[in-house]
Amino acid sequence: MNIGSTTLSRALSRRTFISSLAAAGTLMLAGCGATSTRTSIRFNQSKPEVVPYFRDLLSEFNGAQSSISAVHEVTAGLSAAFARNDPPDLGCLNYNYEMARFQERGALSDLSDLPQVQMNAPFVNELLALYPDYPGRTSVLPYSMMGAAVLYNKDIFAKHNLAIPQRYSEFVALCEELVDLKVTPIYSTFKDAWTASQGLADYTLGGAVDINKFFAALRSVGADFTPGSELSFSQAFTDPLLRMQELAKFSNKDAANRGYGDGNLAFANGQAAMYLQGPWALPEISKTNPSANIGTFPLPMTEDPDDLKVRVNIDLALWIPEQSEHQDEARELLEFLCRPEVQNPYNEMALGFGVRSDSPPAKDKRLVQLQPYIDRGKVFQGVSTAIPRTIPFENYMQGLVTGSSVEQTLATLDADWARLAQRG
Amino acid sequence: MALTTSIKPTPEAQPAAPARPPRRRRIEWTYLAFLLPALICFTIAITVPALMGMFFSFTDSVGFGDYQIIGLTNYLALFTDPAIIGAYGFTLGFAFITVIITNLIAFLLAIGLTAQIRARVALRAIFVMPMVISGIVIAYVFNFVFSNTLPAFGETIGLDFLKSSILANPDYAWISIVIVTAWQAIPSAMLIYIAGLMAIPYDLYEASSLDGASAFGQLKAVTLPLMVGYIGINMIIGFKNFLGAYDIIVGLTNGGPGVATRSIAMTIFTGFERGDYAYQMANATVFFLISLMIALLQLRLTSKGVAK
Repeated sequence: MNIGSTTLSRALSRRTFISSLAAAGTLMLAGCGATSTRTSIRFNQSKPEVVPYFRDLLSEFNGAQSSISAVHEVTAGLSAAFARNDPPDLGCLNYNYEMARFQERGALSDLSDLPQVQMNAPFVNELLALYPDYPGRTSVLPYSMMGAAVLYNKDIFAKHNLAIPQRYSEFVALCEELVDLKVTPIYSTFKDAWTASQGLADYTLGGAVDINKFFAALRSVGADFTPGSELSFSQAFTDPLLRMQELAKFSNKDAANRGYGDGNLAFANGQAAMYLQGPWALPEISKTNPSANIGTFPLPMTEDPDDLKVRVNIDLALWIPEQSEHQDEARELLEFLCRPEVQNPYNEMALGFGVRSDSPPAKDKRLVQLQPYIDRGKVFQGVSTAIPRTIPFENYMQGLVTGSSVEQTLATLDADWARLAQRG
Repeated sequence: MALTTSIKPTPEAQPAAPARPPRRRRIEWTYLAFLLPALICFTIAITVPALMGMFFSFTDSVGFGDYQIIGLTNYLALFTDPAIIGAYGFTLGFAFITVIITNLIAFLLAIGLTAQIRARVALRAIFVMPMVISGIVIAYVFNFVFSNTLPAFGETIGLDFLKSSILANPDYAWISIVIVTAWQAIPSAMLIYIAGLMAIPYDLYEASSLDGASAFGQLKAVTLPLMVGYIGINMIIGFKNFLGAYDIIVGLTNGGPGVATRSIAMTIFTGFERGDYAYQMANATVFFLISLMIALLQLRLTSKGVAK
């Protein structure tokens, strides 16, 4: 009995196995038939807010020609993909220190022969120079830039007849006046460390120190960096960070318990006059209160209105890995995305700023006040994006606004930088 | 047949030397075949990557592309890095305190839940619940309680120290992590203690009560001595688990405020993710050796328990 049933099941399973093999083979053949005319390329873009937008763009691209089929990939974790020798064919991602590592080690192909590269706005090239590129290459093509400054509630300013401050002293006076009026001057969300560093810390440092020059000098001394020397964080950052601690005191009382989401909600409901966040917060604020009347101005850190600058970062940049086997097809998709009639509407939709010398100015009424500064190149890259993220800069800044000592924190930062520089 | 003859001892063969270790047994291929799939999976998924990681800890690799072998540079930098030393200090202190609190509470709960009380089984089920909820979920729920509920409560009854979230206090944030970790870890320790308590023969209590022992005397003279093995194992398993603290910290403080609550696992993972691959591999290797020592200690204790 037993033996009989085993043979039966074995025969059955073998038959099942063979037939499934055959089925798989047929499927594979069918698959080949369908795609043999089109080259499939992978496009990686993971900025969550605009994934649907790019999905639509890709189907437009796939519909417009018949030789390439672009597949949308939204996975993060690029290091693993590069380590496996399996990166996407075209990337469109935030340009930051992680991205810079790929270009520095030569993992990205040279784009310098593309006409679009010549169209970069001059301040964009300056931003690119902040990260070391592979010798002789232009590894990335900027696509969209974000400009961040102080968001303010125009209704509250109008109600109390307040002017936009141009000098540090005016800003402090404004905050004091708001306190007297029983209005919370700044809504802060220190529970999320990144909000303390990208907002308050980046604005105060960028408004007071020439960030590009400082980091270029740091890179040129390399492993010879001496903590506490003339060219060190302790020397350059102490004063602005002390001011930052003063400004942090104008925050809501429960700032240390509040996170990013709480901040968007509170600012949308007019619970504070100012909010130190980037344009990415604007859609969130609109969700809560579509009629929120919001404007933007750069945080003054000196007594000279000519020093006013906007914190910017290259939000999206395009690149093609060396390892990609479909360089030409990837370039075709890149050129499609860079057509002005595709790129400009994207920036308008995503509340970004154009990165080309012929880009149209921002039209959104919440951002128009920043355009003059960007036109004149009055921009800086946030310190938080200029320090390798293996140094917990965000946490240090969170520590400072919740009471740590500036002197000790900067000594730690100096030591961290020195160790990193010596390790190469 | 072969099996029985190879195992069966020959009774009168070596009467002179009973203490001599048995001769090496012949390897049974059938057993090995059973082992093989697990062994292959483990080797491919754990051993090989671990060895590769150890190799890369002697290089300046960032995880891809070219690299150079730089010897012990990473290790030397590791031992002078205050961020790393701080993380070890925090994690060891946290694990030590948490393991004591967890075991104390678990032991008391186990005694209560093995006593002759009503609804014992239902109560056990309720107390075991935290064990089945994922750590990150627990952490986010407690995060809400610490940042909103407690401050609101403090505001209402006018208690100043409750008004600001404990998570925002660099000196006390670790307490919140101890509380939440212990809350999650108590059930499993409690289950082991319950099993241990139920294994103690009732005769012993009967005998001791005939001798006039009080409840506390019974605890001291009967329960504790018989539970020592369970306590030891629970302590070591707990300590080893708490050393790897990660998810609850991510959900509660994310290492903050400042760097007050960064654990070793967190330092390794964030460093690795942020481009410090080789350096954190060196860190991971050191961490592995420490965990290995604790695991060996556990193995010794467990095998002793079995021998008893």
